Amino acid sequence: MIQLENLSKKYEEATVLNLASLHIKRGEHFGLVGNNGAGKTTLFSLLLDLIRPSSGKVSINEIEVAKSEAWKKDTAAFIDDAFLIDYLTPEEYFAFVAKLRKVSTNELDVFLAQFDEFFNGEVLAQKKYIRDFSKGNQKKVGLAAAFIGKPAVVILDEPFANLDPSSQIRLKKFLANEQNRDCTLLISSHDLNHVTDVCDRIVLLEKGNIIKDTPKSPKTLKELEAYFSGE
Amino acid sequence: MHLFSLQWKESFRAAQWEAKMTIKIIIGIVSLYFLGSFLFIGSIVYPALNKTILEREPLEVFNSVLLLFFFAELIIRFFFQQLPVTNIQSLILLPFKKRQIINHVILRSVFSPFNLVPFFIYLPFAISMYKDDYLATQVLAWWLALLMTTLSLNFLLYIINKNNAFFVALLLLLAGTIALDLYAGVDLGKTVGIPFNAVVKNRDYLFGFLALLFGMYAVLFFFLKKGFYLDAGLGKKRTRISGGEFAVLNFLGDDALILRNDLRMIVRNVRPRQIALMSFLFLFYGLMFFTQDIYRDMEYVMVFAGIFVTGGFTMTFGNYVPAWDSSYYKLLMTQNISYKKYVLSKWNLMAFVTGVSAGLAIPYVYFGWDILAIIIAGAFFNIGLNTWVTLFGGLLNKTPMKLNVKAKAFENTQGFSITQFALIIPKMVLPVLLYWLPSFFISPTAGFITLAGSGIVAIILKDKIANLATKLYKKQKYETIEAFNK
Repeated sequence: MIQLENLSKKYEEATVLNLASLHIKRGEHFGLVGNNGAGKTTLFSLLLDLIRPSSGKVSINEIEVAKSEAWKKDTAAFIDDAFLIDYLTPEEYFAFVAKLRKVSTNELDVFLAQFDEFFNGEVLAQKKYIRDFSKGNQKKVGLAAAFIGKPAVVILDEPFANLDPSSQIRLKKFLANEQNRDCTLLISSHDLNHVTDVCDRIVLLEKGNIIKDTPKSPKTLKELEAYFSGE
Repeated sequence: MHLFSLQWKESFRAAQWEAKMTIKIIIGIVSLYFLGSFLFIGSIVYPALNKTILEREPLEVFNSVLLLFFFAELIIRFFFQQLPVTNIQSLILLPFKKRQIINHVILRSVFSPFNLVPFFIYLPFAISMYKDDYLATQVLAWWLALLMTTLSLNFLLYIINKNNAFFVALLLLLAGTIALDLYAGVDLGKTVGIPFNAVVKNRDYLFGFLALLFGMYAVLFFFLKKGFYLDAGLGKKRTRISGGEFAVLNFLGDDALILRNDLRMIVRNVRPRQIALMSFLFLFYGLMFFTQDIYRDMEYVMVFAGIFVTGGFTMTFGNYVPAWDSSYYKLLMTQNISYKKYVLSKWNLMAFVTGVSAGLAIPYVYFGWDILAIIIAGAFFNIGLNTWVTLFGGLLNKTPMKLNVKAKAFENTQGFSITQFALIIPKMVLPVLLYWLPSFFISPTAGFITLAGSGIVAIILKDKIANLATKLYKKQKYETIEAFNK
């Protein structure tokens, strides 16, 4: 589904990302871990064609992202606040994204109904703009919107950060469900527990290089914890 | 001192500082030119007054027109002077005294080319005075009085720029005094000149000017101190939902999606609201020219005015086109929407508003059918060509926009810089030439046809131009995203 070849990103002399090749299969739940500065956000930005690669190329569904815009049809992402339109109400924002993704109003209502628990009654029908919501609720809006229209690829940067514990657990339940519909999911997280729960393949980045690339096994969490504690 | 070194680093480490440097150098050259002209004016005025108006002291004559200088200075400052901006959020918790930061910001406003006026206009005049037969102390007292007045104006401008109530109060005061001048026979110029005449005779009057200067400083200081808290970020201020569906737009189908969003943006955010209001005022711009008989035969002035009547929105809104969307640009760049659609929807909005403005401009027919014809031809030009020129200019404007920030004391919200002003010039010269050349050599009808025709041709070629614009946008994509990310 996603193919990276010789992808690198340099800022002046510093190389922040350098990947010989990476192939992510359709329906895979791909987890990216690594300390600050490992290159996680850089990788996601390159996938979404938000920054120019120093070398190499990225293809989503056989479409090279820097050459054509067709990949945008089946890709959605929530990386940071710059994915929210803060002067809209959540309802208007969802409707905006739904229109772009050719989802009807009825379908949108059905879709949003499954988030009732996740939203905890604090997101819909609040009669206020997104900019007036708390960080956590803003995040919920962005995360839910990323799944509107059943995109084939969803990229989430730190989806668990800023969420309260109940919401984290509800989000995990939802993400596990998404796997049933063959959604290719890419998430990065500092929370090793969550990422090993949700993902079936874990890639560990350090200083822009892949250190570890393994399918999830019962041992994975232990191995990751050992790595990050420096043992 | 420490704060100044921070300031230095801020400007040298700023994003795209090379570009900003170039602009600064250009502004520097322009300022030098003006200062040179002032120097020239300053040095010839005194001898000139001596020869022509014999029955009065040249100094008194000069003092009686000072009021005009002050007015002109205030107006020019209002539009062009960039007030210092300091990022207080990062300083507010550091061990700087509030007093220190505020004094620093105020002092920085003093280091502005506008405050050099006393040195370039008044100083040569003072030297001529000394060469005549005034005493050095008299000359010095007079010049110091003017220096202090200029600095007081500097602080006054700062206050009115940040406080609308002050601005309105000042406008009312201005209108009131002009009315006094016109109807009550008070000679304002002379009145304002009195203290300047007096200070030459008695140096003690300088204390009055000093009091004025400190008074202004104190008002500004307390005003800034009051606005020093980050209440916008800390307080729980909820805005009420306003305007929403714009269901009228539904007939446009998919295209209406971004259009509707843009309308919501304009209605719900402070900055775009200001711009919308400004562009509405442009509708009345023509009144300044069409009512004056002296301009009646100057066709180029008519075209110039005509372009502004319908083009206000295009020129003010378009200048910030991707910047309006800067806070969610990444979303737009990854969502299922093509660049071309994005560019075209902005074009549609500007074309639509220009069309509406042209409709609202119909009453100008009162000044003659030829005036209306010029306005209509100008509207075609605005829709066809000016939209694209402005969009191009907007693309170069890579400063992220804070949509909902009111004019607060520590933020520069003027949004009117010399760079943008420079971009307006080609937009204005081209239509004037398009009309005036054929009109001069053939007939006014030919001018009308050429100007309107150029716009119509561009409207027909809209799709091709949009492709070109899309290419430009794509080329700038990464740089724009990076800049908006700041």
